[in-house]
Amino acid sequence: MEKYVFSASPHIKSPRTTRGIMIDVCIAMLPACIMGCILFGWQALITLVVATLAAVLSEIVYRLCAGVKFQTILKEFDFTSVVTGMLVGMNMPAGIAVYVPILASIFAIVVVKMLFGGTGKNLVNPAIAGRIFAFMSFAMAMTTYPAALIGSLNGGAITDASGAVVSGATPLSALLGSNSSTLSNLDLFLGTGVGGVIGETCKAALILGGIYLVIRKVLNFRWPIVYVAVTGLVTVALNGFDFNVFLPSILSGGLILGAVFMATDFVTTPNTKLGNYIYFVVLGALTAVLRHFTGGEVVSFAILFMNLLVSIIDKYVYPRPFGFVKAKKEAK
Amino acid sequence: MKTFKGGVHAPDNKALTAQCPIEQMPLVPDYYVALAQHIGKPAEAIVAAGDKVAEGQLIAKAAGKVSANIFSPVSGEVVGIEQIVNSKGAKGDYIHIKTDGEQRVVTLPILENPTPSQIIERIEEAGIVGLGGAGFPTAVKATPAQPVDTLIINAAECEPYLNCDNRLMIERTEQVIAGTRLLAKALGVTDVVIGLEANKMEAYEKLVGHEGIRVELLKKKYPQGAEKSLIYACTKRKVPVGGLPANVGCVVNNVGTVYAIWDAVVNGKPLYQRCVTISGRGIAEPKNLDIRVGTPLASVIEFCGGLSDETIKLISGGPMMGFALTGTDLYTTKTDSGFLALTAKEASTLMPTPCINCGRCATVCPMKLMPMYIDFYTTVGDYESAVKYGAMNCIECGTCAYVCPAKRPIVQSVRLTKSKMRRK
Repeated sequence: MEKYVFSASPHIKSPRTTRGIMIDVCIAMLPACIMGCILFGWQALITLVVATLAAVLSEIVYRLCAGVKFQTILKEFDFTSVVTGMLVGMNMPAGIAVYVPILASIFAIVVVKMLFGGTGKNLVNPAIAGRIFAFMSFAMAMTTYPAALIGSLNGGAITDASGAVVSGATPLSALLGSNSSTLSNLDLFLGTGVGGVIGETCKAALILGGIYLVIRKVLNFRWPIVYVAVTGLVTVALNGFDFNVFLPSILSGGLILGAVFMATDFVTTPNTKLGNYIYFVVLGALTAVLRHFTGGEVVSFAILFMNLLVSIIDKYVYPRPFGFVKAKKEAK
Repeated sequence: MKTFKGGVHAPDNKALTAQCPIEQMPLVPDYYVALAQHIGKPAEAIVAAGDKVAEGQLIAKAAGKVSANIFSPVSGEVVGIEQIVNSKGAKGDYIHIKTDGEQRVVTLPILENPTPSQIIERIEEAGIVGLGGAGFPTAVKATPAQPVDTLIINAAECEPYLNCDNRLMIERTEQVIAGTRLLAKALGVTDVVIGLEANKMEAYEKLVGHEGIRVELLKKKYPQGAEKSLIYACTKRKVPVGGLPANVGCVVNNVGTVYAIWDAVVNGKPLYQRCVTISGRGIAEPKNLDIRVGTPLASVIEFCGGLSDETIKLISGGPMMGFALTGTDLYTTKTDSGFLALTAKEASTLMPTPCINCGRCATVCPMKLMPMYIDFYTTVGDYESAVKYGAMNCIECGTCAYVCPAKRPIVQSVRLTKSKMRRK
């Protein structure tokens, strides 16, 4: 009787697994990580590695404390903590004291993910929460960006009101604050001469990773595009329909990083097409409006806020079954 | 190309048997004919131990309207009526017949140019049930409660591996067409459609060009052959939730069923034999076989060269909706379209992991339900909420569980909720 596997249909399944998807996400993040190391040097590599190790180890230690056998943990290891750890690292400026990424990763994994029930049960994206935790706790360190090792291709720079070059300033500070920028859109796209956290400055690498995820059918191309486009267009509207700000606004700050890797996390987005449209349109508008009125980078706060609305969206938005007929159904 | 919304592209593995002509399964010494080979009440046996029976002789009578007559598959002697628990885990009564090799055959009178009511009467008399797998008595389907204008022949055969319908259409095209015409006449419909998937071009070429029959080539996508999906693909009509095809003026029948109708009307041969695909990489020689009902599965597998040691799963039916078997203690029935022996490379044995809310299940669901919620609420015992998200409308096609990266047993959850709600 034990010879054959006995289970409910279907008996064949797609080769896709959670682990496979998460490994794909890790692969997709590699170009941005590599570009981060090229632009910010070996200190970026240390931050990334430390953040990832801290995330993985805290998951393993948490589960050991919960009484799970080590072998089971290894067998069930699904790479979600690697994704979280890499993202936490990508959200840190290079050269930050190592305890910041470590604490952020531990917070992300233990408090945000494991305490809520582990993979698939977290209410908000752990990496976003980790970033905000670090931002709140170490505000100075988190906003002190080193200058990129590769300078602007056209000799552009970011200058403050007095005309002095501000080393390591983000182009977003030029867009929203009193600084002014002579960086070209190509600089913004490649991250040359751009200050910022490790993973956000090279948009080309992020988009490359996004394309990989779309090809691997992990990511629906629609959602990052909706998010980025809405943010750009609302920014344009807020600037009196000045279309010159469209490209700088979407290529500055952490918008692309958030759009490709953080806002689109399965667990913390709605489950329906309509729900996702609502989610990403509101998220885009919220990002643009908050950026405009606070003068700061708010992508992670906007995502965190929208993450919390997902269960409400999902509660009210779900599809009508095929062949649904309104209330007065004819008798069969 | 016409199709429905949702669905998946699963590797069809039909090449294993697509070119295998239908062979005759040789006689075996013992037949165990189940009394329950259809949806509805089991038939009532009218033979007893020691009776001599001829091939095609009525041995069990339909018990009421939703039931079907059962005929002896072989000339032989009734050993007795035995209760058997088969490898699906189902308990039932079987008529055990020992073959005597005398080859005595009886048939029903041949009908020439029958009237619609004669055709329906013959369908009922010959014990014909839906051969697509559900086994619903065809005579009941052929007398819908409301007027219908379209007959759809389900030739999609969207289940991977299976080729029995495909081979019937290729090898017995005229008979399938004639059976379709007979059923169309019985129903009095104006529109006759044969819907088949684009991976059956050989059958398509043979079917086109018959007057009054529209052949629709449908996209190769699972579950194209699910009744409601097929109706939508062929006619753009949507069967209402909880409704029947007749609600939108359609009747759907399987290729094997219309072939059986042709056989019963033109040859007077009742339904006691059907085409079955034996496939999977665990089978030495995959085949398409004409098998008499009541044949032990073990003999069928032996005829196909036996099982390899790599077989990890035996399935009755297709891999998407079929039933797992614990062994080969099973006797063929009218509703068996295939038997598969899958190896570790083919059958999935991954354990479920937590749902990551990726929403793939909802994207592919042909019924537009929310499988992830059904699974979640069933797991926590909140069956009412599972129903809210469509558990009762689920057709159990398995598409959601197929795509699930977390390998959630979604279909099992649906069945649990359905049975809990029915028990209430």
